[in-house]
Amino acid sequence: MVGNKAVAYGAKLARVQVISAYPITPQTTIVQYLAEFIANGEMKAHFIEVESELSAMVAVQGASFAGARVFTATSGPGLFFMHHPMMEGADLPVVMGVVHRSNKSMQPDHTDLMAQRDNGWIQLYCENNQEALDTALMSYKIAEDPRLSTPTVFGIDGYILSYTAEPVEVPDQEMVDEWLPPLKAPWAPDIHLPVQEWKKRQGRMYGSQKAWLEHDTKFRSSLGVIREVNAGFEKTFGRSYGNGLIEEHNCEGADAVITAMGTIASTARVVVDDLRSEGKNVGLIKLKCYRPFPVDEIRGLAKKYHAIGVIDRNISLGGGGNVLNETRSAIYDIAERPKVLGFHTGMSGDEVTPQMIRRIAEKTLKSVSEPVPTAVEWVGGA
Amino acid sequence: MQTLLTTVSTLPEIILIEIRFHGRGGQGAVTASRVLAIAAFLEGHHSQSIPMYGTERRGAPVTAFVRIGEKSRMIRSLVHEPDYVVVLDPLLRNTVNITEGLKPGGTIIINSASPPEEIEFTSEYKVATVDATKVALETIGRPITNTAILGAFAKGTGEVKLESLIEAVKTEMSGRMADTNIKAVEKAYNSTIVGKNRVVKELKKVALPPANSRADWRTFRPIVDPAKCTGCQICWTFCPEHSINMMERKSTIDYIYCKGCGVCAEECPTKAITMVMESEKKEG
Ligand code: SF4
Ligand code: SF4
Repeated sequence: MVGNKAVAYGAKLARVQVISAYPITPQTTIVQYLAEFIANGEMKAHFIEVESELSAMVAVQGASFAGARVFTATSGPGLFFMHHPMMEGADLPVVMGVVHRSNKSMQPDHTDLMAQRDNGWIQLYCENNQEALDTALMSYKIAEDPRLSTPTVFGIDGYILSYTAEPVEVPDQEMVDEWLPPLKAPWAPDIHLPVQEWKKRQGRMYGSQKAWLEHDTKFRSSLGVIREVNAGFEKTFGRSYGNGLIEEHNCEGADAVITAMGTIASTARVVVDDLRSEGKNVGLIKLKCYRPFPVDEIRGLAKKYHAIGVIDRNISLGGGGNVLNETRSAIYDIAERPKVLGFHTGMSGDEVTPQMIRRIAEKTLKSVSEPVPTAVEWVGGA
Repeated sequence: MQTLLTTVSTLPEIILIEIRFHGRGGQGAVTASRVLAIAAFLEGHHSQSIPMYGTERRGAPVTAFVRIGEKSRMIRSLVHEPDYVVVLDPLLRNTVNITEGLKPGGTIIINSASPPEEIEFTSEYKVATVDATKVALETIGRPITNTAILGAFAKGTGEVKLESLIEAVKTEMSGRMADTNIKAVEKAYNSTIVGKNRVVKELKKVALPPANSRADWRTFRPIVDPAKCTGCQICWTFCPEHSINMMERKSTIDYIYCKGCGVCAEECPTKAITMVMESEKKEG
């Protein structure tokens, strides 16, 4: 099945109760599949029709506040339009699927979701359609964890996954039901209580500087929950994605590693395998979780490898690659730190070929033994 | 689909094969790529069907790709050096370089009424031809050549079994549509001719219509019967290519820009427009 269908199946299997979304290419067919499920009775959910993404987000947040399990989905520009309510609703366990779309073309880069990095939403990235379905399910488990109650968004690369068909195993509904029981929402309004009491129960993190600190501390604690959920998913469904935050592929004994997110990771796996068979000691780190940034994992890499080549399919204009910057910052105070090289590729959905990744991996490996230009390199692109 | 997977007994060894489809919007190149990917999956392989979306218009050239092989070899870029090229439209090779990147000695499956030896390329390839348009018209009743060309793919390459293709069609279509498409697959399989192309130094230059012309997109040509035309302008309103002019209050079709979609014939209230098959001589 295509990636968008896998996402729709995820929402269906999670027994989502309220859906609201506004169509935008390449997300549109997710909502079409869900509307079909509802129309033919396969899925019981309220579909709230809205006139914009901003309303879609507000609608699902309202439903979430009332205690429902909710889903929305969007792409690129639609996501930018949601920015304000996303920032406000940082304590509601809303789950959203983003089909990445660049702001300079309809094809994907990750700049759309990374522009939401400061909102307090957990961000997970997927490399294939199976992972899209599985991550949709895991997102509910993570978002609704009583220790967190934190919105979670997962991304799939537009076009590359949204319309590519490949085999996907759909888990049994009973297994999902057992693993993901209905949402308990202690914050849900109770008409017998005064409004102030609801607010207390909802535990809104609002107020002075201390509120930011508390929020950040709670948000960072989600890294542990994500690892737990990933391990639990493995136990029940037999599939997992590294430790839930990062995955090391063919890294044993490697001198250098490259990091990649989303579909670039698939191509990079093949390239790294080929390089290994040629005797070149380079491995792949797939970064699945970008927010919160898995600082401990990245520091762990820094102790094992002599060079890290970071592939950014995103940019913070005037700042550079987001993953590059955060990787460097995470390892800065390690005395024996590795070289960290930065690369932009696949921006605006430009094709990323195995040859391009090979170049990145070879340059990173070379930097272990000899000086290489350290300036960030843009690879490929017409 | 999980249950189907377990019924597979023999797994032919495929590490990675890559296929490129060339078609026109409306011929179903994307569906062809999906059906083939599913057939390969049913035989126990991992597969990807990758459509390349550009302008989604009936008649516009469309490309789609299939990868079949081991899961660990599934890269995510487009296919640049295919093992096989599948061409759903007989006239496409006049305007699109269909052999671009094709591995030396690779195979071309092409919709054509001519046998392989009459088809010219500058290098030698294995070529399988089938008159997929004819097969499609006889079975489905419309010139949608996607399933017919897959029958030719199975015959010409041996990479997938006819039975798997038929099973795959059943997963993508149902009812009469599945039945007629299965007939198309079978009929094409049985009428495919496998051979080698004629090697020429340089491809014959075909007189190309002016830029932006849609003339070579047509399988059918609309013909207006002025006696029946009332000049109501309905066809003029509906034509998606703006290729109808009202001359002296009669519908007049500009055959340089008409793409043969048949919308005008469908909409005309007096049935003044009929769609007539373009003659074969337009090919090559
Ligand atoms: S719709 Fe039919 S009757 Fe009307 S102008 Fe066109 S050809 Fe003539
Ligand atoms: S077939 Fe008719 S509607 Fe279609 S492009 Fe030609 S003139 Fe226009």
